[in-house]
Amino acid sequence: MQTLTDNVLMMKVKSGDLDKLGLLYERHKRKLFGFFYNMGNNASLSEDLVQNVFVRILKYRQSFTGEGPFTAWMFSMARNVNYDHHKKVSREGVSRNVSPEQVDRGTGDYLNEAMDLQGDAHLLRRAMGLLSAEKKEILLLSKYRELKFQEIGEILGCSEGAAKVRVHRALKDLKTIFLQLETR
Amino acid sequence: MKDEKFEILAMDYLSGNLSEGEAKEFETFLEAHMAYREKYEELLKAWELMEAMQSPEPSTQMDQAFFAMLSNEMDKEKESSPKQSLIAMFTAIFRPQWAIGVLLLLIGLGIGYFLRPDVEPIPTQTIAVNNETEEVRQKLVLTLLDQPSANQRLQGVSEANKFENADDIVIKALLKTLNSDPNVNVRLAAIESLTNYVDKPEVRQGLVQSIPNQGSPILQITLANLMVALQEKSSIAPFRQLLKQKELDTTVKKRIERSIESII
Repeated sequence: MQTLTDNVLMMKVKSGDLDKLGLLYERHKRKLFGFFYNMGNNASLSEDLVQNVFVRILKYRQSFTGEGPFTAWMFSMARNVNYDHHKKVSREGVSRNVSPEQVDRGTGDYLNEAMDLQGDAHLLRRAMGLLSAEKKEILLLSKYRELKFQEIGEILGCSEGAAKVRVHRALKDLKTIFLQLETR
Repeated sequence: MKDEKFEILAMDYLSGNLSEGEAKEFETFLEAHMAYREKYEELLKAWELMEAMQSPEPSTQMDQAFFAMLSNEMDKEKESSPKQSLIAMFTAIFRPQWAIGVLLLLIGLGIGYFLRPDVEPIPTQTIAVNNETEEVRQKLVLTLLDQPSANQRLQGVSEANKFENADDIVIKALLKTLNSDPNVNVRLAAIESLTNYVDKPEVRQGLVQSIPNQGSPILQITLANLMVALQEKSSIAPFRQLLKQKELDTTVKKRIERSIESII
């Protein structure tokens, strides 16, 4: 069903065929949700932020030139949405972005010898929570293979090489944090 | 190998961005260097961890909210579309076809302008026609003034009034009528007709000369009034001569006396 590329669809949206945004939404909603969720937002907030991204896409649809891939454009919007949200939250002095998973459920889980996938996932989420926002962001951007390092660089405003180095270092940090959590 | 270069290469290798040759090269490099190999293996584990990272499925509420928002936006777009259609209407009006139409019209007008018949001859023709009618009218006036019927002579005088610029022949005929016509009304009409040409000296002279010839009181009074209006000093002598006549009407006499006074 991917006969129409994202860029073609987005150009149609730009020229007034708003209906086509539904297709783009269906294609990318999971990726975006995952991005926000793994950035440390809880599920319902992540849903709201996904919605905000598409509102923003509609609002700024005239600025889409079709030169770069749609996903890069979309993720740069997602990044701004996330940033704006946290800026607003920190200004209001209320931290609502703590997901239930981040709350320590007690140490009983870690004593479990068989670290199954779910346990791994939980640990990983905790490790992600301890990473800085920039590192989380770049890891999540590189997780979706659709984005090339050059595009990640464009989103973050750095060169392709710098993007690779940053991903590499972020991965290393994640691994270190993860191991620390594991051995605790 | 520098750390940074290794980091870049390792990322390329992981993400499959390297060509086959480059990949082989990197692998042999890893074989040779244990320290880097350990680093790479750490990285690979982290990468696999990332791959394993999962997120829950978004709820259907998100879909509902999104499509509600989208349909809202589409409605808004429709509401604002009348404006767009208005603009579209205007652009439809100013289509290039119109420009071509206007151009053709202008070309047509231009051709028409250059091919128009010469307008000059028409006035000369009307002048010629005017001349002809003047001539015919002159003959008519002269003929009518010679008629024995007073009615027809009156008609001739009124016909003479229609001249824009009567020539000498007509004026002479009118003066002759004034002096010798047996009918008072015809003579009266001739005076009225001649008043149109009082700026001509021969007309004034003719009028003055006719004063002693007039026997009818009404003509005498009309001439007296006319002379006062013209302030014709040369008319005083003929009036004085007229005053000497014994049979002159007393009203006329008084009138002429007053006229002479006002002229002086």
